Amino acid sequence: MTNQPMTETYIAQSPSREAWRMFRRNLPAVFGLGLLIAIIVITLYGAFLYQGDPFDIVWAPHEPPGVTPEFPLGTDYLGRDIVAGLLMGGGPTLAVGAVAALITMVIGISLGALSGYYGGWVDNLLMRITEFFQVLPALLFAMVLVTLFSPSLWTIAIAIGVVSWPQTARLTRAEFLKIKELEYVTAARAIGARNRRIIWKVILPNAAPPLIVSATLTIGVAILFEAGLSFLGLGDPNVMSWGLMIGANRDYILDAWWPVTFPGLAIFLTVFAVSLVGDGLNDAFNPKLRER
Amino acid sequence: MTFSFLLRRIGYGLLLMLGVVILNFLLIRLAPGDPAIVIAGEMGGATEEMLAQIREDYGLNQPLLTQLWIYVSSIAQGDLGESFFFNQPVAKLISMRIGPTILLVISAQALSILIGVCLGVLAARKPNGIMSGFVSVFATIGYAVPVFWTGIMLIIVFASALPIFPVEGMQSVRLRDAGPVVKTLDVLHHLVLPAFTLAIIYLAQYARLSRASMLDVLGSDYIRTARAKGASERSVLFRHALRNAALPILTVAGLQFGNLISGALLVETVFNWPGMGRLAFDSILRRDYPTIMGVLFFASAMVVIANILTDISYRWADPRLRGRT
Amino acid sequence: MTALLDISDLHVTFNTRHGRVTALDSVSLHVNAGETLGVVGESGCGKSITALSVMGLIPAPPGKIAGGSIKLNGEELTTASPARLRALRGAEAAMIFQEPMTSLNPVFTVGEQIAEAIMLHQKASHDQAFKQAIALLDRVGIPSPDTRARDYPHQLSGGMRQRVMIAMAVSCRPKLLIADEPTTALDVTVQAQIFDLLNEIQRDFGAAIILITHDMGAIAEMADRVAVMYAGRVIESARADDVLDHPQHPYAHGLIDCIPNVGKGDTSLKEIPGVVPPLHLLGDGCAFAARCAHADARCTREKPVLTDHGHHPVACHAIEEARL
Repeated sequence: MTNQPMTETYIAQSPSREAWRMFRRNLPAVFGLGLLIAIIVITLYGAFLYQGDPFDIVWAPHEPPGVTPEFPLGTDYLGRDIVAGLLMGGGPTLAVGAVAALITMVIGISLGALSGYYGGWVDNLLMRITEFFQVLPALLFAMVLVTLFSPSLWTIAIAIGVVSWPQTARLTRAEFLKIKELEYVTAARAIGARNRRIIWKVILPNAAPPLIVSATLTIGVAILFEAGLSFLGLGDPNVMSWGLMIGANRDYILDAWWPVTFPGLAIFLTVFAVSLVGDGLNDAFNPKLRER
Repeated sequence: MTFSFLLRRIGYGLLLMLGVVILNFLLIRLAPGDPAIVIAGEMGGATEEMLAQIREDYGLNQPLLTQLWIYVSSIAQGDLGESFFFNQPVAKLISMRIGPTILLVISAQALSILIGVCLGVLAARKPNGIMSGFVSVFATIGYAVPVFWTGIMLIIVFASALPIFPVEGMQSVRLRDAGPVVKTLDVLHHLVLPAFTLAIIYLAQYARLSRASMLDVLGSDYIRTARAKGASERSVLFRHALRNAALPILTVAGLQFGNLISGALLVETVFNWPGMGRLAFDSILRRDYPTIMGVLFFASAMVVIANILTDISYRWADPRLRGRT
Repeated sequence: MTALLDISDLHVTFNTRHGRVTALDSVSLHVNAGETLGVVGESGCGKSITALSVMGLIPAPPGKIAGGSIKLNGEELTTASPARLRALRGAEAAMIFQEPMTSLNPVFTVGEQIAEAIMLHQKASHDQAFKQAIALLDRVGIPSPDTRARDYPHQLSGGMRQRVMIAMAVSCRPKLLIADEPTTALDVTVQAQIFDLLNEIQRDFGAAIILITHDMGAIAEMADRVAVMYAGRVIESARADDVLDHPQHPYAHGLIDCIPNVGKGDTSLKEIPGVVPPLHLLGDGCAFAARCAHADARCTREKPVLTDHGHHPVACHAIEEARL
């Protein structure tokens, strides 16, 4: 009766593979991923190669970049090597960012999932708590926490996690509210699945795309946070980090621009790479939104 | 706008503030060490006499609930305690610093919304045009730059290469005896760099948000209706679309306020702006807890007030919410 | 006599991710002053695109008028300047949309929105325009119009909102009123009221109406003439009675058979098998061939042209060859 094809032939692909295919086509996202991998490799490998202590005074103070071949980016106000600081300071910065993002996601997803799934008084209580935490200016609250419990990489990561989870909780809650009304959740309930199973095995995997995007962007925010705290002098004083380099040299910026410029550039490039990856993931998971 | 809505909103705000007070109380008690020493400040070198006085004032020898009651009721009376480092009541310290912070935060907020929305609307007119590309690149960059570093870079540029804006403080010493007009202009002159530094991050976010929001609204049925009436493109963009696109922008502006205060803290420190952020920085270095807690209290109060104002303006802007509770 | 609206050989294309597709393929229609033309067809057949082309509201890009002409009162619209089109829109030709729930701007009062249409095309102060808006609300049967004019759209029911849309459309006494499925989103009882209102409005204002619908019942009640569209082409065109009583094209047959004959003892619901093919998969032949019981090899190869084969114009090889 007909020789017209009415539907296109469509090769079914798993959602994650489809998302990866979309991601690969997104030039800025691939660039961001490459940049991020490069930064991670350089800081890890560089820290391994560099044997000395970045706190060591190795040369005259305020040696400009490009003058002495041994110190291509110059030295800071005490005569410490900037390149050494950049290489050794990257690891702690990235690690704190990642751990803080992990803590943020764990708290945010747990509370958001409970709130969205159970609704009623649980939702009410948890959302009031979330609103309360959103009233506290995050950086100030983190400063107070770090000061009270004395600065170390762990307290900093925990403090950042404790102040940044509300947004993740809200996002998770919104996703759960949306997904729990869908047929396959009703179906899971109909075959007698327990609440815990429905939350973790049925709804959470389907809420994953926006949460993965959010987790990526949270790493970026956490890195900026760590830098801000270190800059204010609340970093771990015994560990070199990019924020600490900027904070330590802040009083001498009019004498020497390089000790603050390069670590700032490093922070910027890292967060920039992370957010390009985050945007790319977002586009890959929501192809329809790409026009925006 | 109903009066009962306003009352309930304010009541809820007060409840949140009570929460902040209790949190402050718990933080001091949870901190390792003797609370009296914590309050006196580790750098204060408190004498045994002073510590006894603190224990007396805060009721530290009494049960925990009594201590909480003493703390809450003294704050309700406007007594935030004494800063042992500055040797002044905390309330007085903050009252001198809160004005500059509000000035900075509101200028930055206004700047970022104004410029951001303009950029976003321009970009939304051509979703695939140059402006759209610029907005998304700029938004990603603006988001990734540490705000204190932007400030430092601006100081480096404007201190020597292009000395047209002051890079430090809020007032010029040489104009101490000038008239009010000159003094105001002087403050505004000092405000340019800090406000702009703080605005950059949010400016980029508003541009991106208002572009997305405008695109969303421009595709809606009532925009087609406006065009079918014969409305001009300008009227369609600014009269019909922007009013609706402004709603999500307003929501974000309200939520952003807390972050803005966090940013102000860094910017004030960079530019020596004599506000609460600078005070927080100084008191944290000295472990002056009464002052830090006072700043946290007032900063949270600013966020609560901003949220109430956002709710009110949201109801004003969206008739669908009026009359609802 | 020249027609009020004369569309001839109109082609409209859209750029999609499947490449450029033809949404309207040599569409020719005319509407005389004061009459009602019904345009029928399933969703996606090009009815709304035709209406939006007349209004100059085809979203461009991705849409584009690729050829043909649209003449309103003898004035060519496809080449008119944007400013000229704006002056005509709302004044000479007005449109009522399918979705009254979303077609009104939520942040302005309904009186304000009608007054805006008046002020755009007439010299009227805001107060005068608002008074006219109240009179129009009264005219379209909205009770206590002076308080209703200060209501926002969300405070009105769907039927009320559609009345507001009608009041807005006729506010400048247009010669042509395009109603794009004006009752689809409404309750059945409200549908009849809206059709009555449109009939009244037409009598009082003397406007010609293009009624776009997939409801043959509405056609029977409203239309003087009918154009049946399928996949971007007009496939049958005649007086409404002729099409309803003697449908020629198998597709028109199908549409009319879909009306349940409740009174006549036949309670079975009929349907046309299959769906309208997506535009990017249209081949060289008759677009209906895949769903047609009378299709043969020629139908899948060659597009039939709208021609009169004795009764009234129809585009069908089977009728031309008298196989049907």
